Amino acid sequence: MVMMDAIEAKVEQGQRLSFEDGIELFRCRDVVALGQLANRVRERRHGDKTYFNRNIRIEVTNVCTASCLFCSFAKLEEGMPGAHTMSLDEAWKELDDLKGDPPTEIHIVNGLHPKLPFQYYEDLLAGFKRRAPSVHLKCFTAVEIHFFAELYSMTIREVMTRLKAAGLDSLPGGGAEIFAPEVRSRIARGKATGDEWLEVHRVAHSLGLHSNATMLYGHIETFEHRVEHLLRLRQLQDETGGLLAFIPLAFHPEGNGMKNLPAPTACDSLRTVAVARLLLDNVPHIKAYWVSMTPEVAQMALRFGADDIDGTVVHETIYRSAGSRTPGAMTVNDLVRLIREAGRTPIERDTLYDVVKDYGSSLVPEASFKVSERKADRHLRAMS
Amino acid sequence: MSILVDRAIENAGLDDVLVKRREGRERTIDVSRLRGADLLVLGALADRIRAEEVGPQVRIVTAAICSEPGVATVPPGGVEMTGLELLRRVAILRLTGSRGATVRVDFGRCGLELAQIALGFGANELMGRIVSKSGAAFAEGALMGVGKKSRLELADIVKRREIEGFVRLAGREPVFVDEMGRSETSAEPCAEEDGSWS
Repeated sequence: MVMMDAIEAKVEQGQRLSFEDGIELFRCRDVVALGQLANRVRERRHGDKTYFNRNIRIEVTNVCTASCLFCSFAKLEEGMPGAHTMSLDEAWKELDDLKGDPPTEIHIVNGLHPKLPFQYYEDLLAGFKRRAPSVHLKCFTAVEIHFFAELYSMTIREVMTRLKAAGLDSLPGGGAEIFAPEVRSRIARGKATGDEWLEVHRVAHSLGLHSNATMLYGHIETFEHRVEHLLRLRQLQDETGGLLAFIPLAFHPEGNGMKNLPAPTACDSLRTVAVARLLLDNVPHIKAYWVSMTPEVAQMALRFGADDIDGTVVHETIYRSAGSRTPGAMTVNDLVRLIREAGRTPIERDTLYDVVKDYGSSLVPEASFKVSERKADRHLRAMS
Repeated sequence: MSILVDRAIENAGLDDVLVKRREGRERTIDVSRLRGADLLVLGALADRIRAEEVGPQVRIVTAAICSEPGVATVPPGGVEMTGLELLRRVAILRLTGSRGATVRVDFGRCGLELAQIALGFGANELMGRIVSKSGAAFAEGALMGVGKKSRLELADIVKRREIEGFVRLAGREPVFVDEMGRSETSAEPCAEEDGSWS
């Protein structure tokens, strides 16, 4: 209790939290109180603003040389049942099909395909830019970039310089999993190490590309591994300032090598969001990815430190392969309602968090009062 | 986190709710204020009352039982609620109900995830039917005699353990009860209480 009081005092004074503080926060039994502390930081940064975007997910290939125990999406070889690789025309058609409601962002994550030529990826990006010059291309995890460098005998910088020239705008945060080698070597064999993941992002930031970061939680890792992971991201952000958002990803057990493990519970998800908000004092946004944690828990996470709920996410397949029963996509109206019901103000953003549209506060009773009003208890007086 | 919680409750102007309950004057609590209060503050307040009045045990009712007098079930029959509405309702029931009242959450209707969070907002009982992994509902124990190797029976056990795990991961003690309301199993120490919780 004494230590929690000390942590609270640090948070109030804007002091940086330590590794030990992070462990204490994860062990805190009172998840609601933990949420309050994180919410205070969230409201200090963003008030009631809660971000989302119009995005589309495209996985052009699920053929992958890596053997990740948590993955239900990848197929080892072309020709295996369920294996697929899109032609460029098929990939571009995904965007063409949305002409009536175009996304502002295309998010591409793939398996590590051993035989596709590098030109395929350059043409893929260039083709999207030809069709929609203003669309933001957030493509290829650090794991893919590292794989490209090895497969095509280039440096990380060369890979990203060429992809940037072809249209790449930023990197997604996937592939981080858990950095600790003792966990990573067991769950994510055959792909970039934690150090290599961080290095790719370091190079991306030096090239002027922003990126996100993730953490896969709720499998065999410990609280210590989670805190170490978060602090390494904080260190990277101190160096480069290039991270836009942190996204905790809940492990889903169906159809993969860890199917005997239970999925993380809602309390664990809310606790992880809250601790991330408190530890990552230099990362602007914490995302409650509704596909990963379900729309209902993501909505609650907006009161536990998260200020972003991701986007419409048309065509997501990775989580759905692992048993996620969340909807395949959400409309803008769905997201606006979800955010407003949480008492927040929906803000449609682009990938770099520039405001596309401010939807304003809602007519829902709780949401009709802004943070400033709640602080002054004006809403209590108004309702009593 | 008592200082944090105390201050948040005080800032929200809800400290008198705690006093009124402790003095047995819960009927004088203004519900309209609770409806407009910050959800997390309300939850923290309700959880404190829950801890004082009914302790850490969570009764888990998986048998088909009739509604019981004095037991408030959330969500109420025929009413659709969002997750946030459900949590607020649970907290208000805990704060305005009679001392030591049972606040029951129907996980069959709202899902185990939300039910787990509701345990932090004042709930002390979970109710619902054991379901198979495919979501088909069947009553607890209804498959006895079907065969030990039955896949359905396996699903039954898995779900029961899952519910138990959910309660323990919320830092509470699960107690299964039968259709007569008798305890079937006594709670074992929480797996995460082996020194890892503060």
